[in-house]
Amino acid sequence: MSRYFRNIFESISTLMTGLGITWRHMIRIRKDNVTLQYPEERWPRPERNIGFDFSEYNIIRSRLQVDIDDCIGCLKCERACPVQCIKIVTVKSGAKGEDLMDIGHTGLTSNGTKKALIVTRFDIDMSECCYCNLCVYPCPEDCIYMTGGPNSKKHPIDYEFSQYDRNDLIFKFAKEVEEEKMAKYLPQKEKVEA
Amino acid sequence: MTIDQLMNWIPFGADWPALAFFAAVLVCALTVFLFIAVYALMAIYGEVKISSFMQDKVGPMGQGVGFHAGKWGLLQPVADAVKLILKEDIIPTLADKKLFIMAPFVVFIGAFISFAALPFNQHTVVSDLNIGIFYILAVGSLSVIGIILAGWGSNNKWSLYGGMRSAAQIVSYEIPAALSIITVIMLTGTLSMQGIIEFQKGTIWVILPNWIIFNNPFSFIAFFIFFISGVAECNRTPFDIPEAESELVAGAFTEYSGMRYAFFFLSEYAEMFVISAVATTAFLGGWNSPISGFFDGPGWGLFWFMGKSLFLVFVMLWFRWTFPRLRVDQLMSICWKVFLPFALVNIFGVAIWSLIIG
Amino acid sequence: MGIVHGDLMTLNIGPQHPSTHGVLRLKVKTDGEIIADVEPVIGYLHRCFEKHCENVTYDQVIPYTDRCDYIAAMNNNFGYAVAVEELMDLKVPERVEYIRVIVSELNRIASHLLALGTFGLDVGAFTPFLYMFRDRERILDLFEVLCGARLLYNYIWVGGLSHDFPNGFEEKIIDFLDYFEPQLDEYNNILTFNKIFIERTADVGVMPAEVAISYGVSGPNLRGSGVKWDLRKDDPYSIYDKFDFNIPVGTGTVGTIGDCWDRYYVRMLEMSESINIVRQAIKALPSGDVHQALPKKIRPPKGSVYKRTESPRGDLGYYIESDGSPIPYRLKMRSPAFTALSVMGEISSGWMMSDVLAILGSLDIVLGEIDR
Repeated sequence: MSRYFRNIFESISTLMTGLGITWRHMIRIRKDNVTLQYPEERWPRPERNIGFDFSEYNIIRSRLQVDIDDCIGCLKCERACPVQCIKIVTVKSGAKGEDLMDIGHTGLTSNGTKKALIVTRFDIDMSECCYCNLCVYPCPEDCIYMTGGPNSKKHPIDYEFSQYDRNDLIFKFAKEVEEEKMAKYLPQKEKVEA
Repeated sequence: MTIDQLMNWIPFGADWPALAFFAAVLVCALTVFLFIAVYALMAIYGEVKISSFMQDKVGPMGQGVGFHAGKWGLLQPVADAVKLILKEDIIPTLADKKLFIMAPFVVFIGAFISFAALPFNQHTVVSDLNIGIFYILAVGSLSVIGIILAGWGSNNKWSLYGGMRSAAQIVSYEIPAALSIITVIMLTGTLSMQGIIEFQKGTIWVILPNWIIFNNPFSFIAFFIFFISGVAECNRTPFDIPEAESELVAGAFTEYSGMRYAFFFLSEYAEMFVISAVATTAFLGGWNSPISGFFDGPGWGLFWFMGKSLFLVFVMLWFRWTFPRLRVDQLMSICWKVFLPFALVNIFGVAIWSLIIG
Repeated sequence: MGIVHGDLMTLNIGPQHPSTHGVLRLKVKTDGEIIADVEPVIGYLHRCFEKHCENVTYDQVIPYTDRCDYIAAMNNNFGYAVAVEELMDLKVPERVEYIRVIVSELNRIASHLLALGTFGLDVGAFTPFLYMFRDRERILDLFEVLCGARLLYNYIWVGGLSHDFPNGFEEKIIDFLDYFEPQLDEYNNILTFNKIFIERTADVGVMPAEVAISYGVSGPNLRGSGVKWDLRKDDPYSIYDKFDFNIPVGTGTVGTIGDCWDRYYVRMLEMSESINIVRQAIKALPSGDVHQALPKKIRPPKGSVYKRTESPRGDLGYYIESDGSPIPYRLKMRSPAFTALSVMGEISSGWMMSDVLAILGSLDIVLGEIDR
């Protein structure tokens, strides 16, 4: 019998405690509010004070971006990708570090490395990308990175990219080159294979 | 009350009384329907906002360029309503079509016709029946038939579960609710809603208003028994086991969409208001002002009545966004082992109290 | 009309159901509201994790481990990194160890918050769920500052970490812990000691210690049954032996030992223990270079290793067989949630329809890890 009444008493007291908590939250909503009105307001992107070796890499994982002028076609990022979403095709250029203006191939990267390969295809399928960031680290020229972060001056953050067509998610970074201009660099007219 | 006035007012009332009665009923019904619709929109907005505030968010806001959901999301319930009306009406192939189509209306009728006896103020009541409170309790349980029909007609196992649970729940909770109303009837000696409110005029215990909740300790408990049983009758959390979204998907309403679902929704909110209004009438003095002799009059009467009822509706929302859900057997055991004995003790208590003190 | 023989009704809970925590199907045989038998059907989220791992290099496995238990990706990275390091006989710098402990304990808190919140949701309490999500969000924000990702971190690497702590990150963590500790009381008040919640969970789905052990259940589910078994203490890996913390076990405070409430409350207590560990680790955090021990090429010697770590869900094991190439020959993951789900049928028969979902919620399964 005493247990019966104790149960009732416990129920009332614990339930009142619960009601008190929700009441407090309701009247303190101005202080406690955590909602962001998304398209108008955005969560401030984390400021990161960089004090370590990989300082040139940003840490926001948004969209992959390639500075194709700096790419030497070393395929390291392609090999690092666990899901094979990066596809690169290269062709040997005439001479190392040579500036081939007709196909927009600058001979030197911004780091001063001499380029020996012409990148004819550099596709990243962002619908396959798993945003692991593994391709960013091995790049010797720092030309592949996620947009935003320390690169935000060059490429503002772009984590809200969306497309109506799935094919539009394949980002093509290689420069468009006409077939006949390219022809003289292809050994024995061999077709470039994907 | 109102219906009689309307009939007197209608010019051809004397010649064709049946036609005048029909016209008056139609006017009242339309008014009540409009009231329910507007109130339901307000209640949905209130529920969205109150639940959001309790959960540290702000709910629909509609900021920025464009129309969005209006200032502070005021248009959100309108958008919800438009969406529900425009949605495709899906009737499952294997459903029992007649029952499936009938169910939302049966549920709605149960909630709708209860409004006929609600006294909004001194004069505004569709019909001041001399058995008003009995009538409301009686027709209030009509909705259970609709929910069982929905559960059975949908031909879905989840719906069947929901329907069966709802039947057991609503029928059980009728009993403590009715028993606590009996204490009120014993004190007031009338079944008429206006009569019950008239009884609660004046003051008691020097400063308190002469409301039945303050009349004696037993009626104080009776109020809570009635109100919580009412919450259970509306299928609101913590007693929302018939629709229990994390267990039964949506219970009896799983297969419904569009307008039919909206009717269930509407009747749920309407029923909440009915329960609150009855609790207000029977225990909280109806349209009487809390300070006796001040703020009386029809306008204030409407204000007090609506204010008290909407506060009780708010308490129901508050419950919903605070408590977990009970299990079906615990629900039954609370009803039969706690509420029922207490309600019975209350009846004796009130009887003895009115013998000795009254 | 003879005697009515009640047939059992077969009911499919899921794969699309609000409270199956993913795409799980429970084949339930019911006699009215009473459950006669529960048979979990899994495999709707199978992604060939183990076969994938046989085709990618050791460092490329790490993003895949993220996706197994996506609620506690740090702990999965941690387990895998520890296993490969043991295979390679690699010694990692002390700072790395400390940071690993800090992030995995923070992730344990985040994971438990989600587990408890969804458990509350399963028994019908919506508001505590959102309070817990709000605080979990803060941990995810911390991780975003740390490594740029909110859910799938790829942070703990073999031999090190992808990034060091940014400047001032320790203070941010301490700020969060100071904010978070009082919140635990609020959760307790609104949910844990709520009478309706206790009614729903106490004495429900009791898993006796013998049953738990014979099914191989581990982690908070096992500790909820009163067995004091925690790999952080009993088989210490990394630097867990340096910290002073308790292992909460289920005591049957409001019901029987091993009921849903105990499993719930063990998680609640574990969160405060995790806070304790993080505070100690931050106090003792040494300086150093986190990239120092990163191997240029991960090419473990021939051999095999089985290493288990304590993930928020329990005993997470990685078995790695190496043939000396840069690609694992075979990788097997022992998933704690899998064993936890296997005990469903045993402990939930005889209970009611609503209890099945409460029991499922209290076991805290992640389908990504079960199906792999």
